[in-house]
Amino acid sequence: MKFSLNFIKEFLEVKMPAQDLVEALTMSGMEVENLEKSGNDWVFDIEVTSNRYDWLSLLGIAREVAVCLGKKLDIKYPKVVKEPVLLGRKIVIEDSNDCIFYVGRVIRGLNISASPLWLKQRVINCGINSINSVVDVTNYCMLKWGNPLHAFDYDKLKGDIFVRRAKKNEEFIGIDGKERILSKDNLVIADAEKVIALAGVIGAKNSEVDETTKNIFLEAALFLPLSIRRSRRSVGLDTESSYRFERMVNPQYLEFASEQAANLIKELSGGVFFGYKEAGKNPTIKPKRIMINFSSLSDYLGLACSASAVRQILERLGFKTESISKETAVFLAPLFRFDIQREVDIYEEFSRIYGFDKIPSSLPAIKPKVKEPNSYEFKKEVRRLLVSMGLNEAVTFSIESEEELTGLGYENLIKIANPLRKKENVMRPSLCQGLLKTIKYNLNRSQSNVSFFEIANIYTKLKSGFEETSQIGIAYSQGFNDFFFLKGLVNRLLDYFDIVEYEFKPESAKNMSNSLSIVVGGQSIGCLGKIDRQVKKDLGIKEDLFFSQINLQLLMKARGIKKYQPFSNYPAVCRDISIALRKDKKFADVEKIIVKKSKDYFSSLEILDRYQGQDLEKNYQAFTLRIFYQLPERTLTSDEIDSLHLMIRDQLNAQDGIQIR
Amino acid sequence: MEEKLRILEEEFKADLSQSKTQEELDALKVKYLGRKSKLNDLFSLIPALSREEKSIFGKNLNILKNKISQKLDQSSNSEERQEELIDLTYPAKPMANGYQHILSHVTEQICSVFEGLGFSVVEGGEIEDEWHNFSALNIPAEHPSRDVFDTFYMELKEKDKGKYLLRSHTSPTQIRVMSSLTPPVAVISPGRVYRPDEVDATHSFMFNQVEGFAVDEDINFSHLKGALLHFARSFFASSVNLRFRPHFFPFTEPSAEVDVSCVICGGKKNNSVNQRCSVCKGKGWVEVLGCGMIHPNVLEACGINSRKYKGFAFGMGIERLTMLKYGINDIRLFYDNDQRFLKQFQV
Ligand SMILES: [Zn+2]
Repeated sequence: MKFSLNFIKEFLEVKMPAQDLVEALTMSGMEVENLEKSGNDWVFDIEVTSNRYDWLSLLGIAREVAVCLGKKLDIKYPKVVKEPVLLGRKIVIEDSNDCIFYVGRVIRGLNISASPLWLKQRVINCGINSINSVVDVTNYCMLKWGNPLHAFDYDKLKGDIFVRRAKKNEEFIGIDGKERILSKDNLVIADAEKVIALAGVIGAKNSEVDETTKNIFLEAALFLPLSIRRSRRSVGLDTESSYRFERMVNPQYLEFASEQAANLIKELSGGVFFGYKEAGKNPTIKPKRIMINFSSLSDYLGLACSASAVRQILERLGFKTESISKETAVFLAPLFRFDIQREVDIYEEFSRIYGFDKIPSSLPAIKPKVKEPNSYEFKKEVRRLLVSMGLNEAVTFSIESEEELTGLGYENLIKIANPLRKKENVMRPSLCQGLLKTIKYNLNRSQSNVSFFEIANIYTKLKSGFEETSQIGIAYSQGFNDFFFLKGLVNRLLDYFDIVEYEFKPESAKNMSNSLSIVVGGQSIGCLGKIDRQVKKDLGIKEDLFFSQINLQLLMKARGIKKYQPFSNYPAVCRDISIALRKDKKFADVEKIIVKKSKDYFSSLEILDRYQGQDLEKNYQAFTLRIFYQLPERTLTSDEIDSLHLMIRDQLNAQDGIQIR
Repeated sequence: MEEKLRILEEEFKADLSQSKTQEELDALKVKYLGRKSKLNDLFSLIPALSREEKSIFGKNLNILKNKISQKLDQSSNSEERQEELIDLTYPAKPMANGYQHILSHVTEQICSVFEGLGFSVVEGGEIEDEWHNFSALNIPAEHPSRDVFDTFYMELKEKDKGKYLLRSHTSPTQIRVMSSLTPPVAVISPGRVYRPDEVDATHSFMFNQVEGFAVDEDINFSHLKGALLHFARSFFASSVNLRFRPHFFPFTEPSAEVDVSCVICGGKKNNSVNQRCSVCKGKGWVEVLGCGMIHPNVLEACGINSRKYKGFAFGMGIERLTMLKYGINDIRLFYDNDQRFLKQFQV
């Protein structure tokens, strides 16, 4: 909210330079976001938090300024005149839950013109346009007291005044010229024939005050905050008036605002006071009584607070001391502060004025807890490991495009009801798209060696509710490496976490043409493979792409224990073998025979080279394999290895589709 | 015969004195000791000699062989021999490791400072319900205090409308932990949060936050100040200071916004528009986080006796802290994942 320093000076003398006042207010809790010079005035723009409805009035702001400066306010309350009573018109409140009190003052014989300079400056420097000598007065009084007012052209009202709910589909044209269709959610002010205002929000065009208006009906009221909130939201409006009603207006100042407005209007536009009418009852508010214990306050802040220091600050803030001892006190909250409800509210008031900077800093003695394995620690380990294998970590958005994902065959997506843009309207079901787009972004920027991983959640719709699971996504382009690097990487990941029993099972997966499922204990914990040609084409990427996604929670659950394994101290002996394999056979078939036939002698194997040459039979591919033999208890003789190796060669050669070269 | 040995030895000595490099020594080895060497030629003469000659000549031949071999070894090891010079100015080989994202690194940094104080890390979910994100945090439905939290809602059938949402802050974790554990608790909780903000240099509809809170019988505001000052000095620099400004959050009371003395200009106040620091706008302070004592309504919503227990809580934006610490001026750089950006932070 904007306020003018000259306006504040109607309540108290301020000698402090504006810049220093900014600092003082900010440090006591009224954050000044901007300060601007306007002629001989200063315009402050402050943040009004939702608890301080009282700062929506100059009176409330002046109180805060007075507290900061240690001064007293000089408030001139006008004498409220309720006579003569307005005859011939009734005010009917249909439901006192919506409106507890309503006041009308009629002034006749006006000569409306432009406002005098001082009034124009007041409203303009508080961020409101100057309209005329009547409307500006209503705004001036609203700014001053916090109570919104509305002036109707009295001659345009027919019959009694009603405060009621709108009828279904009732039409309404506001002073902004826009037509709106109302519903039962809207509280309205109506005469016998028509709606004349959206109560507490905006007046109607049909009864607007302009330069030709001679007689006015000046409204002041107490509307229920929630009724105003619902009403203004249903028509998508947020006005100076509704903003205040929604946050509560003070009943105490309603008559002052109305009276002063009536007086100022007469003063500036001529006219005579014609009559007063009210409906409902202006509630009497009682001060909130709160007992506090000074030692509890001291314990809460970590600061020794004396009874006298607390009393002094609270009384500056407008609290009354009902009783006080060294240990406890009973304070009465000021009538303009409905946000003060319990002890902690008093703790806050005291500490913010005392100064947070005067409260000492100390470290809490937190009782240490045993560190249990958790997802955060696990993610840290995975991150380190993947980085060490040459991958870069990415952070991509969890919200993706429904259209795009549906095109890729995803179903049952979790939709966002109020997306910002259509391309970000569902929760992602996979980390794939985010990573592939990241690869594309980098390839397009002439980065050829592109590899990424991301640790983040994916989201699934359940029969009732949702499920989000942490996943590890890995993706890279062929410029970085081939599929078998990915396989090795997954192996390394599983080995690192001491997962011994696992296998790769061929299984089709979304977005991939060649893919394996990672099976641990009979359960698939993830997949790896080569991205489908069509998916690549849709993304506009030419290079081959590889992708793996592993369920982090399942991986964490499968984690084994590190334990020492004895190893052989005797040398391993190797023998090479060149094989041509028909394309309908798998390498796994070769591997199976070697492992099975070499029994305990088998240690490991390794591919030395692979090729597809002219000299090969059609449909065959060749490779050279190095087999390592080793025994834990003794050195092998070359004779026994030679005969074992020969036997394995013969066994392989006997298979259909396998040729030893 | 003996003469042949002597000539050979002289020849070898002459050659050796000319040899400087290892290659030349290797060549000498082949010349004098190899399969086709002169020494080997002499050995091949032995079978034709008489028995007596065989024994003497054989012995001398072996002595010479050992002598040559020894001399060659000595020369190889001698310090006088010149090492082959490598051109060390060729480029280094690139290391094969990748790069951790700066956001996850900063998250780990923040968590580890608080872990050092005894906090435990707990992660929370991102799809939350209305109760955990708002009501339990003293932000009632249809209350203006909810207006500052723009929120994405999940699309649901009419009766469940507004029930599920994407958390707009990490505070729901506070509710989940405090509802399930009995104090004392001290938790730090990082994670993604979502708000329907148009994307620009300082806004993103998804960003990361860290929530921290401690609840015990004797927790007080002074502890909050101390813990955060310890954090700021560990994270930014040991010379920074904090400024606690009273503020309002529904879930804490008293509440404060916290500013750190500007790490760029050292917190010098400067109102001249041309010279002022672009990070703190000449104010000398930069807002970094919000905090306060946990509101008793929040403790009570979690079934914690607010007469017995007190707590503090704070929340901070990881992107904001990272941008400030590393001088990054556009939040979008974090989510572009340009390798040239990621590589700058070798963490
Ligand atoms: Zn600065």
